[in-house]
This record gives sequence, C-alpha cells and structure tokens, in this order.
Amino acid sequence: MSIQPLLCCRNLSFFWRQQVGLQHIDLTVNSADRVGIIGPNGAGKSTLLKLLAGLLRPYTGEILLEGKPLSKFSLQQRAHKLALLAQDPEVLTTSTVLDLVELGLLPHKQLWQRTNSHDRTRIKEVLKQVGLSDKAEAAVNSLSGGELQRAQFARVLVQGAQLLLLDEPTNHLDVQYQHQLLQSVTSSDLTLVASFHDLNLAASYCNRLLLLKNGEVMACGTPEQVLQPQLIQTVFGRACLVDENPFDGKPRITFAPGAAQ
Amino acid sequence: MTKYLYSIRWLLLLLLLIFSCVWCLNTGAVALNWQLLWPCIFTECHALTEQQILLELRLPRILLGLVAGAGLALSGALLQNLSRNMLADPYLFGIISGAGLGATIATLFLPQYAIALPLAAFAGALLAMVLVLGFATLGGWRRLDTVVLAGVAVSFLLSAVTSLLLYQSEAFAANRVMFWLMGSLARADYQALAIITPCLILCFVLGCLFRRQLDALQWSDQTAHSLGVAVLPVRLLFLLLTAALTACIVAYCGGIGFVGLMIPHLVRLLFGGKTIVLLSGSMLCGGLFLIWVDAGARTLLPTQEIPLGVITSGIGSLFFLLLLSRKGNHTL
Repeated sequence: MSIQPLLCCRNLSFFWRQQVGLQHIDLTVNSADRVGIIGPNGAGKSTLLKLLAGLLRPYTGEILLEGKPLSKFSLQQRAHKLALLAQDPEVLTTSTVLDLVELGLLPHKQLWQRTNSHDRTRIKEVLKQVGLSDKAEAAVNSLSGGELQRAQFARVLVQGAQLLLLDEPTNHLDVQYQHQLLQSVTSSDLTLVASFHDLNLAASYCNRLLLLKNGEVMACGTPEQVLQPQLIQTVFGRACLVDENPFDGKPRITFAPGAAQ
Repeated sequence: MTKYLYSIRWLLLLLLLIFSCVWCLNTGAVALNWQLLWPCIFTECHALTEQQILLELRLPRILLGLVAGAGLALSGALLQNLSRNMLADPYLFGIISGAGLGATIATLFLPQYAIALPLAAFAGALLAMVLVLGFATLGGWRRLDTVVLAGVAVSFLLSAVTSLLLYQSEAFAANRVMFWLMGSLARADYQALAIITPCLILCFVLGCLFRRQLDALQWSDQTAHSLGVAVLPVRLLFLLLTAALTACIVAYCGGIGFVGLMIPHLVRLLFGGKTIVLLSGSMLCGGLFLIWVDAGARTLLPTQEIPLGVITSGIGSLFFLLLLSRKGNHTL
C-alpha cells in the first residue's frame, strides 16, 4: 500500500504579466520530508512557495494537500496544515515580540476567544527555543534583522502546522542561529519546504533538493544527485568544486572566486 | 515598559477624561457657580437658565466632542492598520471633500431646510467612499497604494466641483459653507449623538473581535493570508465601517482634520501598537483631545468661536514636526 504524500503538485505553471514565472513543476513532498528549493535570483523559488501556500493561483496544474485540492480547503483549515514564513517588507508596527508570536494562534482561535495560560506557556517555550526569551517585551521595530527573523520563525512554530514553507529562513541570521533554526526543524517530525541561497546549508539539512532556473526544474533529487559541479556551473554561471563535508558527509560546494566564468 | 507603569498610564488617562468632562461643563461664555452645578448634574437644577445652558447646550456638546473625537481617532487607527500607511486618516479617503460638496449643494440650493445640510454631507461622504472603493475594485485591489491614491484623486475631484459651485454662488452662502467646512460642535444635539454613538460602538466592538486579524494585517497581506485571514473581505468591511462612521461625524461636525492622523500616533508612543490597545487608547485620547479643543474654541476669543479644524490642524501639524524631529528608530 502506498503512503499518500502530504503535498503534491503536478504540471504547475504560473505566468506574471505574460512572462513565465514557473513552468511544468512536479513535486511530491512526503511527511517529514525536508525539501530545499535552490536556484539563482529570479528562478521562481519564492513564487513556488507562494503557490504552495495558496497565495497565488496556478495558471495550469494543481496542488494537492493530503490528496485534496488546496483550493478546496478553507483559509483557516489551510492555516492549520501549513505555515508560511514569507519575506515581509519593512516592519511598520510597534507591537512587541510577544504580540507577533501570539499571531501564530490566530487560526486556532474564534473571534471572541482569549489567549489562555496554556497558549502563554507554549509561546514562552517557543521564544526560549529561538533564543528570544529576554526580548519578549521588546518592540519589533527595535530588533535586529536576525532577531526579527527568529521572532517570525517563532510565530510559524506557534501556528503548529505540520508543513512549514520557509522563504529564505536563514536570511539575516548569524552562523549559530542558521544552524540552530534548521536543526530545530530537522530534529522534529515537521515537514519542510524552504528556499535557500546557501547551497551548503540546503545540502546539510535537506534530504531532497529542487534546482530551478528561469522557472524550470533543472534537477530534483537527493543533494548528491543535484549538486553536480557541471550542473551547478550551468545554473549559477560559476565554476565550483564539490567534495564531502567532513562533519556530516553531505556534498560541500566551494565556488571559484573572481570574475564569472 | 513595566506593567505597573502601563496601568498607571491607563488610570491617569481615565481620570483625566472624567475631570475634563466636568471641567468643560463649566467652561464657556456664561460662568456657572460650581455649587449650583453639582445638584444640576446629579439631582435637579435650581434655575431654568442653568438647566438650559447645562443640559441643552453644554452637555450634548461635550458628549458630541467625546464621540466625534473618539470616532475620528478610531477611524484613523483602523485605516492606518488596514492600509499599512501611517499617514492614512479619514480625510485621505476623500470623505471630507465628499461631505463638503454635499454641504455646499445643500447650502446653495436647499437653504430653507435645516436638515438638508447634514443629510447632504452624509450623502456626499458616502459618494466619495463609493467612488474610492469603486476605483479600487476596478483595479482588482492588487495594490493597497492605489486605494489611498484613488482617495486623494477623488478628494481633489470633489473639491474642484465644490470650488466651482462656491465661485458661482453669492458671498454669504460661500461664507457659511466655509465655516462649516472648518468644523464645529455648535450643531450638537441629542439626535446627532443618537446617530453617531451606535456607529462608534459597532466599529469598536467589531475592531475588538477582529483584533487578531487586524494585527496580522499590520505585517503583510501574505502573512495575514497564511494565518487564515480573508484579507479582502476584512479590509472591505472595516473600510466601509470607518467611512460610515466618519460620514456621520462629518455630517454633524464638519471637517475636523488631523485628529484621526495624530491621536493614533500618540497612542502608539504611550501604549504600544497592538490593535486592541490602539483602538481603546485612540478612542479615549481622541475624545479627550476634542473636548479640550472645543473648550479652547469657545473661550479663546471673547466674542466669537474659533472653528475646531483651525485649532486641530494647527496642533496636528506642530505635533508632526515634533515627531519627525525626534531621534531614534520609532516608526511614524
């Protein structure tokens, strides 16, 4: 008996002002999978995540969540099953970190329901997990880029969805927190689909990679299958060496410095 | 901010509001004796003149100041959250220009009917709102900026029509319209209160119920959407509510600028930006601000009343210059 995939998209295409955004994307994500979307700027990584989150409607193809078309889920049902960490524009609000993280409870609360002590305990735990316990009362517009990213991630965790869609989650984070954030996802049974600029991070923390260029899939498979020097050079236009990361045995990429080749 | 300091601020604000209401009851052209005033409020008045001054002139005026100030500040806070534009206020959406056009038409063409002015002002405000929302719908609500820009464009269009009508009219009528446009609480009566208060309560209660959705909208549409918020219906609901509330206020009080813009900023500085805090604080501060402005308008010049809009715009622009000159990374 085959296990039903958590998320599945078939022949997904998206156009933006007559320009190709994404073309013929097929992707199957099983429970506890960790899929990394990689590719140069403008490849369609964020667009694919927005399509999977239901923020954009595909031009062709369909997205199935637990075997049922995504469009058949209500917004609230969808928010129970998948959480999105988007690249938000400038923060204008003067709310506190606690207020931001509390937003994760939104899909679970009726209009008249209040935040209870159980919710508050959960929020405290998550803030501790992302290392922001001492910043709980700080205004979000006083945070550094990395702290804000961690606060946003805490909000995503409080949402309690099985599938996390993270758009460049390691943006603004220092090395310690890059690894801490990804480790916290991979050590749990959560399912991850995330876009990355750092190919080595993607290789270390994802069991499958999707390589995009100009909206088309160039390769899809394990990090060892996708991170081939010739292919990476074709996509990114830069010579590279691929060897083995001595810490985890995953592929490690080193790009050649200097002018593009 | 410690919880203790935070609670003290709320308590001070409430006490100040109660004190201000009582103080303003005895502020005006006729000075009333405090000893006569107390029984008049709590039991019955000794003299008919006092009763008339207090219960038919000053009390409705103070109550209207409270609800109009609260309503304008609440609308400003909601619009700033909804549009993620910290400079948004009811006037940016063309509501005042629409009401101004309605008032001009009523004054010029139906001067014999007193009720025509507030009714026409309300209809004009609704027309402006329908035009703005119509343009936004034609544009598919793709960009939030287009709603604000449509508001500015509609505002200019309706102001141009008003100017043309005033240019063609006789000087006395133009003078009346100009005074109305500058805002006043002189029209205060219990009928105005009976119309504005339910609108205000409805906006506040719905704002409190949808507090989490409004908080989420402060971040981005995509974050709000991913949290299960039906972005467009929620935004449309509150745009309509704030437009109706402002239209009611403008119909009775004329154009009182800067309250909706300035008060939410002040509340953010004092109490923080969480929606429920922002809405409650804006209502209390807006009401408090407007009754003091009205008290000033009634007493600053010995023989005549100063239009409210003149004072609020003066204070508002100074407040903004002060805010802009503040150092630090406070968001406007």
